[in-house]
Amino acid sequence: MADPHVTLRSITKSFGAVQVIPPLDLEIRHGEFIVLVGPSGCGKTTTLRMLAGLETVTSGAITIGDVDVTATPPGERDCAMVFQNYALYPHMSVRNNIGYAMKVHGATPDEINERVSEAADLLGLEPYLDRKPKNLSGGQRQRVAIGRALVRHPQVFLFDEPLSNLDAKLRVEMRTEIKLLQKRLGTTAVYVTHDQIEAMTMADRVVVMRAGIIEQAAAPIELYERPANKFVANFIGSPAMNFFDAEIKDGAVLIAGQSLTLPKERFETLGNRSKVIFGIRPEHMRSSDHAVDLTLVPEALEPLGAHTLVLGRLGSDKITAQVDPRFPVEIGRPCTVKVDMNMVHFFDPETEVRL
Amino acid sequence: MTRDTLSKHAFMWPAFLIVLIVTLFPLIYALTVSFQTVRIVPPMPPEYVGLRNYAEILESGRFWNAIGVTATIVFISVMFQYVIGYALALTLHHNVPGASLYRVAFLLPMFMAPVCVALIARMLFHPVLGPVNEFFTLFGLANIPFLTNPTLAISVLIVIEIWQWTPFVVLLMLAGLQGLPNEVFEAARVDNISTWRRFRDITFPMLLPLSIAVIFIRLIEGFKVIDTIFVLTGGGPGTSTETLTLFAYNEGFKKFNIGMASALSFLFLIVVILFGTVYLAAAQRLTRRYQ
Repeated sequence: MADPHVTLRSITKSFGAVQVIPPLDLEIRHGEFIVLVGPSGCGKTTTLRMLAGLETVTSGAITIGDVDVTATPPGERDCAMVFQNYALYPHMSVRNNIGYAMKVHGATPDEINERVSEAADLLGLEPYLDRKPKNLSGGQRQRVAIGRALVRHPQVFLFDEPLSNLDAKLRVEMRTEIKLLQKRLGTTAVYVTHDQIEAMTMADRVVVMRAGIIEQAAAPIELYERPANKFVANFIGSPAMNFFDAEIKDGAVLIAGQSLTLPKERFETLGNRSKVIFGIRPEHMRSSDHAVDLTLVPEALEPLGAHTLVLGRLGSDKITAQVDPRFPVEIGRPCTVKVDMNMVHFFDPETEVRL
Repeated sequence: MTRDTLSKHAFMWPAFLIVLIVTLFPLIYALTVSFQTVRIVPPMPPEYVGLRNYAEILESGRFWNAIGVTATIVFISVMFQYVIGYALALTLHHNVPGASLYRVAFLLPMFMAPVCVALIARMLFHPVLGPVNEFFTLFGLANIPFLTNPTLAISVLIVIEIWQWTPFVVLLMLAGLQGLPNEVFEAARVDNISTWRRFRDITFPMLLPLSIAVIFIRLIEGFKVIDTIFVLTGGGPGTSTETLTLFAYNEGFKKFNIGMASALSFLFLIVVILFGTVYLAAAQRLTRRYQ
């Protein structure tokens, strides 16, 4: 990678005898917005905290801007961090919260005022500058926390699930704000979340983690279209991808007694396989230049307005299909949906790696 | 009377009577006694004397001396208890090696009966046999009259108060420290705020309400000190270590002048209430600046 700004080189983390992060490598470019995503306990927060210096690294090295910061205390890494619980100083006003670090480091009152006003202006905090955190809403508090990170003009922004405590509507607003702000400032950012929508919408590159291992690090659209393995395929996308044990034979996929014809080129690369994991996203059950019929038994319907989810069974496996709101479907009565065979995925049943 | 009002009274009166008997009656009785001369030895019929008991106390030098002694012991010892207790709590909070052992060890003095503490101190500070004197003898200072020199006796009492009650401050401040949100301090570390500034600007203000409560409890408890002094110096030499409570005890149980002792108790109560009100008002102004 050209000009990496932050590098994690074979870093590991053990708590006693338990290794939570096996050797992990990651390079982050200047100005890149990286999102670490994964289920609870996957090591994403630990990785971020190691980058911040709040956790020591058991082995390996971390560099920020060509400087090895592995043993550097958190305050000297020139990172600014935004925490899930905001971590505001409860006894200080918004103004003092934002300007406190500058004041301690000897900035002049004029300089502090200028930067605080600049941040307040950017985040819409001017009316609240003299309030205490307890008199602010969750969204306002989080903006103060971001403001506090902003005024320091750090090399790297670190976000630890900053939107988890906000309600759904505010979360959507804030994620756009953070994304725009980061683009405007051009500061490298590492963002941790367990919410894949947040990851997909904000990141330049998403790092999907499981049990301390990076399963895939790629642009959001690539993760969605070409997941490296079954875990990533399952984790990215909502509703989740459907998986079935299948067989590929004579140019078609055989599932639960049904035969789905594959595009010719796809079959040529895959060949005949007696056992394979077949994956199809609910939203790819639609017409296309290579659509085939799939019959399933609906068990429940979830009308969402723009489309309807049909939850049913294909043989003994569960299946979710996304159909038009007016699609004729009746619970318990087999129905046929189209499957876009250009958008199907295959994974090795042993390694679960993409085929 | 309807059923409703009947049941209301059935619930209200027992509670009211219990409060009356348990708390108000003894207070009112003591207040009445404080306006009388009541002598048990030799037995004399109570005689109403109005405010004479109070006037007599306020005119006696012994009363003002007792106030001075009490204030000296309480203010100096509580100041040290707070500073040392806070420092120990901070140290224990930062998980020094063997913290759990220290935690128990530091709390032990608090669990001892003050009379035992005084008896131990009496041996420790014995002018001839005590190990403290032994220690000072090494530096050529033999037979220091720890308990018979007025200044030294008060100092010893202050040291004992500090020794016994610092653990209480440690316990409460440690609980307070452990209740503080961790992220706030992590945010400060990431912002490169030094340990001292973190304490001064974050820990101290965040624990200020607790500090005020802890100091208040210690001050009020301190005013009531009697057992250690009773055993250790008996208020002597002379009346140089006689506190208000000991003075009241001497009046009541040595001179059997119950009226005077009651008046003294009420004056003591007034002093504590006045002091408490001023302290809390000042504390409120201080916390308002931070909250």
